[in-house]
Amino acid sequence: MRQRLRVPLPPLVFAVAVIGLLTSTTAYPSGFQVMTQGAKATGMGLAFAGVADDPSAIFYNPAGIGFQDHFSVMGGGAVLGRDSATFVGANPYPGVGDAGKVQNQVFALPNLYMVVPLTADLKFGLGIDAPYGLGLRWDAPEQWSGRFISQNAVIKTTDINPVFSYKLLPELSIAAGADYRFSGLQLERNTAAIDPFTQSEVDVAHTKLYSNLTSNGGWGYNAGIMWKPVPQIGVGASYRSKITVNYDGTATVIQRPTGDQAFDALVAAQVPFGVHPVTTQIVFPASINTGVGISFGGGFTLALEADWTEWSSFKALNINFPDGTLPPIDRATAWNDSWAYRVGLEKTFGAFAIRVGYYYDNTPQPTQDVGPLLSDNDRNVYTAGFGYNTPQWGIDIGGAYIKFKNRQVLTQSTDNFFGIYSETAWAAVADLRISF
Amino acid sequence: MNKKLYRSLPLAAALALVATAVGAQTFQNFVTVGDSLIAGEESGCVVQRFQRRSWVAITAGQLGLSDFEQPWISEVAATNPLTGYPCLGLVLNGTSLGLAIVSETGQNTNLTLPRPYNNLGFNGSPLMADFVELTVTTPGASDLDNLAGRVLRNCMGCPFQGMSAVDEANLLTPDLVAFWGGNNDVLNAMFAGVAIVGVTITPVDSFTNSTNQVIAGLSASGRTLVSGNIPNIIDIPYATTIPPVVVDPTTMLPVLIGGQLVPLLGPGDDAFPCTPVPPDSGCALPQGSLVMLPASTLLGQGVGIPVAVGGTGQPLPHGTFTPPSTLVAGVVLYPDDITLIESTIVSYNQAIAAALVANGGIPIDSNALFAQVSLNGFDIGGIHLSTAYATGGIFSYDGVHPAPSGYGIVADDFIQLLNTVKGTNIPRPNFSNILFTPNVPEITSAVTVADNGPWHYSLDTWRGLLNAGLARRFAIQMPTVPDAPRVVPHLPPAPRAVRHVERHDFD
Repeated sequence: MRQRLRVPLPPLVFAVAVIGLLTSTTAYPSGFQVMTQGAKATGMGLAFAGVADDPSAIFYNPAGIGFQDHFSVMGGGAVLGRDSATFVGANPYPGVGDAGKVQNQVFALPNLYMVVPLTADLKFGLGIDAPYGLGLRWDAPEQWSGRFISQNAVIKTTDINPVFSYKLLPELSIAAGADYRFSGLQLERNTAAIDPFTQSEVDVAHTKLYSNLTSNGGWGYNAGIMWKPVPQIGVGASYRSKITVNYDGTATVIQRPTGDQAFDALVAAQVPFGVHPVTTQIVFPASINTGVGISFGGGFTLALEADWTEWSSFKALNINFPDGTLPPIDRATAWNDSWAYRVGLEKTFGAFAIRVGYYYDNTPQPTQDVGPLLSDNDRNVYTAGFGYNTPQWGIDIGGAYIKFKNRQVLTQSTDNFFGIYSETAWAAVADLRISF
Repeated sequence: MNKKLYRSLPLAAALALVATAVGAQTFQNFVTVGDSLIAGEESGCVVQRFQRRSWVAITAGQLGLSDFEQPWISEVAATNPLTGYPCLGLVLNGTSLGLAIVSETGQNTNLTLPRPYNNLGFNGSPLMADFVELTVTTPGASDLDNLAGRVLRNCMGCPFQGMSAVDEANLLTPDLVAFWGGNNDVLNAMFAGVAIVGVTITPVDSFTNSTNQVIAGLSASGRTLVSGNIPNIIDIPYATTIPPVVVDPTTMLPVLIGGQLVPLLGPGDDAFPCTPVPPDSGCALPQGSLVMLPASTLLGQGVGIPVAVGGTGQPLPHGTFTPPSTLVAGVVLYPDDITLIESTIVSYNQAIAAALVANGGIPIDSNALFAQVSLNGFDIGGIHLSTAYATGGIFSYDGVHPAPSGYGIVADDFIQLLNTVKGTNIPRPNFSNILFTPNVPEITSAVTVADNGPWHYSLDTWRGLLNAGLARRFAIQMPTVPDAPRVVPHLPPAPRAVRHVERHDFD
């Protein structure tokens, strides 16, 4: 066992992976949480806290690596995209007849996990992944009716998560680790003002807030426990703490000419165009995953899971301009804690495995908070996957089809922006594992 | 256009029809009675451009009513001298920027409609009593007669001779009536710059009596009657734009002496007597005073500004009344004026509420709506509107009447109230149309002329205001256009002195 500790880490591989992660654009939120951090887990409906039998356990339940006895490196990533994301307006604003569409962007989220057995009972793990993210860029941004709220919203994260797992008993493992989260932001929108000559609204400015991914971060921790009373049954739970990230960045304010030179001159004299410092903060929520994995005869494994996320800690998005040239933007969010319920099934045929899964994910976002910045909703998610795994290596592929319920914002809206949001999306995840 | 869009069109059309049908089935016959806020006045006049975007027109549209008739007043190019009532606008003349008359009222284009108009609101500063008592109008007798006459058509020999607005409303047997009046019963105190019960303020007893007659007269079995109440008129830009302290005209920041603000000067009143300290001949306005928009011209001449900071030391005028009927208008309201105005509004609103309760009407709290908008503005879809003069979007250029956005807010409030109280499903207004449609004259030959008529403050007033309010770092040069004489006859005072001694006729 100790011999395996001397296996040199492939530093180049790590470096490339890290760079890839730090420059990747994240996406696909539950809220803006991203759970597709492993291919096998994705195929099984993300019900993996009670299974946790590959290196992605570092994300799903780090105690799972206590039962993994080989040095392993697993890397891959997820590709996520929207099939369709549209908005149909309603009165009083933007009104019946208005419509919008989110650009069909495709996002890549690499992941990398490493499990290092230090002793028979003590294991070290390192995970690099992107558990939160958002990418919502509206089509035709200069015509989009929600452009005064958001034209483009991006949240990027990359977590570096070292953990230690220790087997207290042959059937019981615990784990704890630190979690450092890099995060970057980008928010863009236009500003409208009354043209005093026409008494009508016109676009007068465009503001882009940007904070680099590598410039901001925050510490958190995670922990897990896994109990296998018999080899066929695993019961697991994991906890990931909330992480507060304070952002420093820039606000670039650009004038939008209206075609009226007199008015443009007034605007130019009164709006602080240029680059200004900006600060904000996001409190990423804590979460608890609880699950069970049951292996039946015939190569069947059933996984069940319930996950809780403390989204109520995401109370506001307050943006400040330290030089005082622009007024602060304070937006209360009032999100709720949320639950997701997951089920997955795997059938193995020797080294081959096929997997299916389903989960129902409750949105944390109250209806009145839904808007162009983020339009989330309850969703039904159907997953499938397959894998080929030997003790030395393995490859897994998983996919998910995400069907959001239509979100109708017709009576109450924080932004006073009314309409119906519809969305379907997909995710594909692939991972390659090498064990020694 | 893609296939999905084609497929969605029938559904959208069906939804639109259903939405229209819901509104249409709810109320079939909508009639409105009241003052300029019902007529749809903006920027000093009532013309078709404004009537189409008034809150009653918006509401009628949301109800799905295609036969909602208004006395459509054409908008024509302004003449010099004027032949109609002037409409204000902001214009650019070369390098000069200023507020000017951009058009004027023309003819009533559907004067021969053989029935009363659905919109029976009229400007000309009608009091509450006028909605039941003004049964015969005399063309040329007064602005009120002229402006009410073209709506009510009740002059001698006219189709509805002898009928008041309430009478004509009943002639239409409506199932929904909206009433909003009584604002002028207290608004005249603001225009006169002094609050005197029986002179610039209608006594509460008289107001209550008139209100009871109007509300009872508009009530009927099976009819839904909704009435607004009186907003706090001192929250409007006419009263709030000019601060009661000396402002540096270059920086637009308050002047400080020894770290203290420098109040403007007034002549004092009974509650705040003035003993001038030379070289000033006026006294500092007490905290809580308000300075009306027309003061801008005087301030530009140094009136109201202490000698110590470069002014003349003369006081801004406060309105005065000499019995039996001589009222000289002022431009400042002292705190005791404001207290009287506000307490009167409270009493008026109690009278309106009581009359509605007695007659089964539905109150709409316009006072609360305007207070909310004045305090917080109005945010919709990331767009912020405020009550700031000229640039806020809620009030029009006259500083008194709403702009289309303001009327849209009123319509939305009215519709939401109906939906809540009556269980209807009337669609709320579409603010995209309201916010993004330019509100400029549709005529191409508009000319800029000055207005020095008795129904408005002068162009100099606006010139001074715009110079003061907008010229932060942008030099605004106002055009020097000679004042034009007004040709609308100025007739002897009517029996009610207040109406004709007050200078500013906004409602």
